[in-house]
Amino acid sequence: MNDNTGAVHEGKRDLLKYILGAGLVAWLGSIVYPLAAYLKPPRQAEVEVSSVKVGKLAEIEKDSGAIVRFGNKPVILVRSAAGELRAFSATCTHLDCTVQYRKDLGVIWCACHNGKYDFNGKNIAGPPPRPLDEYRVVVQGEEVLISKQS
Amino acid sequence: MKRPMIVASIVAVLCFHVFAVAADKCFVCHEAMGDKASTLFKRDIHFAKGISCSGCHGGNSNTDDMQEAMDKANGFRGAPKGDDVSKACAACHSDGVKMKSFGSRLPTGQWEALQSGVHAKLSLSGKEHIAQCTTCHGAHGIVSVSNASSPVYPLNVVKTCARCHADAAYMQTYNPSLPIDQLEKYRTSVHGMRNAKGDSKTAECASCHGSHDIRSANDLKSAVYATNIPATCSKCHSDAEYMKSYNIPTDQFERYAKSVHGLALLQKHDLGAPACNNCHGNHGATPPGVESISKVCGTCHALNADLFSASPHKKGFDALKLPECETCHGNHEIVAATNELLGTAPEAVCSRCHSASERPKGYEAAGAMRQLTDSLEAAEQDARALLDEAEQKGMEVGEAKFTLRDARQARLESRTAVHSFNEKKFTETVAKGLSTASFVRQEATNAIDEYYFRRIGLGVASLIITILAVSLYLFIRRLERQQARTGTHNPQSNQ
Amino acid sequence: MKNLWSNLYVWLDERVQLESLVAFMGKKYVPVHRHSVWYYFGGVTLFLFIVQVITGILLLLYYKSGEELAFESIQFIMSKVQFGWLIRSIHSWAANLFILAAVIHMFSVYFERAYRKPRELTWLTGMLMLFLGMGFGFSGYLLPWNELAFFATKVGTDIAGVVPFIGKPMLIFLRGGEEVSGATLSRFFGFHVAVMPGIFTVLLGIHLILVQRQGMSEPLHTDRSEAGVPRTTMPFFPNFLLRDLLLWLIVLNILAILAVFFPWELGTKADPFASAPAGIAPEWYFMFMFQTLKIIPAKVLFIDGEVLGVLLFGVAFLLWTIIPFWDRKSARGEHNRAITYIGLFVVGYVLLLTILGWVL
Repeated sequence: MNDNTGAVHEGKRDLLKYILGAGLVAWLGSIVYPLAAYLKPPRQAEVEVSSVKVGKLAEIEKDSGAIVRFGNKPVILVRSAAGELRAFSATCTHLDCTVQYRKDLGVIWCACHNGKYDFNGKNIAGPPPRPLDEYRVVVQGEEVLISKQS
Repeated sequence: MKRPMIVASIVAVLCFHVFAVAADKCFVCHEAMGDKASTLFKRDIHFAKGISCSGCHGGNSNTDDMQEAMDKANGFRGAPKGDDVSKACAACHSDGVKMKSFGSRLPTGQWEALQSGVHAKLSLSGKEHIAQCTTCHGAHGIVSVSNASSPVYPLNVVKTCARCHADAAYMQTYNPSLPIDQLEKYRTSVHGMRNAKGDSKTAECASCHGSHDIRSANDLKSAVYATNIPATCSKCHSDAEYMKSYNIPTDQFERYAKSVHGLALLQKHDLGAPACNNCHGNHGATPPGVESISKVCGTCHALNADLFSASPHKKGFDALKLPECETCHGNHEIVAATNELLGTAPEAVCSRCHSASERPKGYEAAGAMRQLTDSLEAAEQDARALLDEAEQKGMEVGEAKFTLRDARQARLESRTAVHSFNEKKFTETVAKGLSTASFVRQEATNAIDEYYFRRIGLGVASLIITILAVSLYLFIRRLERQQARTGTHNPQSNQ
Repeated sequence: MKNLWSNLYVWLDERVQLESLVAFMGKKYVPVHRHSVWYYFGGVTLFLFIVQVITGILLLLYYKSGEELAFESIQFIMSKVQFGWLIRSIHSWAANLFILAAVIHMFSVYFERAYRKPRELTWLTGMLMLFLGMGFGFSGYLLPWNELAFFATKVGTDIAGVVPFIGKPMLIFLRGGEEVSGATLSRFFGFHVAVMPGIFTVLLGIHLILVQRQGMSEPLHTDRSEAGVPRTTMPFFPNFLLRDLLLWLIVLNILAILAVFFPWELGTKADPFASAPAGIAPEWYFMFMFQTLKIIPAKVLFIDGEVLGVLLFGVAFLLWTIIPFWDRKSARGEHNRAITYIGLFVVGYVLLLTILGWVL
């Protein structure tokens, strides 16, 4: 290798410099791209687990219920005809189906096996063995929030 | 302070009279007077054992001087009142040695057992227990429980208990919510009817509730607490020897324990699950008739019962006098329903009545429905497997997992929807699940793709770094060779 | 283009006298001998520290301390933030490689007796940085607030608590209370991102300045000047520096490969009321100590086994740290065999106990 002549040397050196420069640029790219992507705020801007914003109080109808995603679990927010708000785990205690509010019956109802829970989450009919876990509903001004019972 | 002295004096008096029994002056006089107590006492087991009136009432039974015999100084206390009644009985009946001296083989500790039960709760006066020994056993004509004239003899005990328990006014004072129709219902039960006919082997109150330590049904230790009921019933019903003369199976408990209900109640302690009494009734225990089975099951499985009632099967089952739920699901050993129940295969329950030649419409529907439910299950499993794979690859798929719940729910709903025996309705439910499953599948596939994208990204980055490293290496070598030629630096390098 | 660069250089040079710095670097030489390879580990450790600083700052953008949020925010970083998984995995992996590189660097310096006069201070700052590095690892381990970290921290702080007299107050200080709780997490977070980096940076500055001023140490046994063999050297700039960069590139690639193929797991969220899961193990670099404490019998001559173990380790670490001050022979330039034997014993012991810890 030591007998390389100067001419070859020069030609090679140019090529090497090109590769080195291009490699450096590409390497910078492969570092900057993930960094830039990382710095870009994600779709869901914040960690949301200990409490979830449901919406405006005025937008929640009386005598209705809605399923809200809480982390990986569904939560049912029910509002009585009188306007009182309650939130429960929406997972039926029988076989883990998702419960819903039945306006006609005025109960929280599981479509799978006709389990029924009252407005306090207590199992009142059908196969559910125990009441639904309750969540806390907080009304901050107009905003309705659901958080874990502590 | 006072009580131990009284007890001690009773014991002393009792001991004394045991040996001086030959001349029971109390009885002699009272018999001559012809009073009710002494008349009854003649047939009392205690009289037969030579126990004097003073054994319970105190006093001196050796003297015919009334003044002296019934002198308080001699321990006379007349008719014991309240808890003293039971304590007087317990003085001997809770003392094994003393009982033995009378040649008794009775168990001891009834007083203690009574105290652990509901009847030892304070009475209204707040000073004594609800029931004393004499409440059930009587006072002067006490005979053995095996004696047909005993108020606690199996044929009589139901009436004895009902004396209080069927008395609305009386029960009202203790537990207003407790029903008072137990005896009435009991008489409609198989147990009660046989009992009325003189069969002392069938269950009466004490068979299930216990005799002395009767506890409230809400008491975990009660024999009639929900989780204890199956074992209580099986005491007799699983005893093949005992049940021989009745000619009924004795494997109910064994089969029940294997059923979904048995597992839920006995293993998971899910009090919502039915025990024997939830289907058969408790005091009015009887097997539900063909007509009533679907109503009994429908108390919990209401949706299924409703759907079934509206289904074409209702008419057919009624015509053939088939018990509704039981025909397909069995009775005691009801196991979790699987897809195998449905369809046209020989093990499917549908094929018992439907075949390609016989009732072919149902046969076709059964086949189609089975196919649908199988495909939904497969789709759900497939989606779940993909999610697991994605998760195992370190991808976060919490959201898709959340959505997959809906597919599972649709599957569970479809299993209920089967009971409508309506192919269209069933297809709708299944379709909902299928579309969710395919959505989740897509999400999972995307996540897995992302995983491979990361590897490709790494590959590209590695390639770039490798090129850069190699060219840097070559650059260093070139540089050092140049340095060697020009002698700019210390020539030798470690190559 | 070339003009721009040289103009910029001139502009800077007029103001901050770059010339002297370049001259200094140009005159700096790195000895070349068959043990030269060990010189690179210091650089690798430095590089990994830089990686930690960068990825650590990046994680700070999304991480939230606190019992309620710590675990969830890491989950968030791993799933929702683009390339969050990469940054977090690299931070975790680089942390481990950092300790590994630092330990190798430390042992190579030890066996080459590079700590001997005049480099006592370099050794001392290096050892302090190694301890700090372990502290970084220990505090950082808890930050995701997962089950394993929770119990490892519990055990780790328990061990600190057995030190006679100062143990109990130390335990309270570390935990921010009697038990490992949200308060501990806040504390560890503070130590990890503010207190320790500050101290570390000062120590690192001193360490690097000393290295630059004193140059690389040459091992005694390759000191061929006595034998009349000319010393071979390599210019620090650009030769050695470029090699350093080459190695750093490779280390970076290794990090990326590890992060992609073996993403750092998050596990399950810590539940202070749950019972400890099986397989609670400290980070591997604490394993030999942990295992030793397990092996020592409960009572050794009226002394609590654990206390004895902790004290022994304390003394051993202290002696190790002040070695340049008692190894007089090496300082005089003589060959001290005892040091080699002690070193081999320590390496063997640490390896054996670490392996035992994983196997048992």
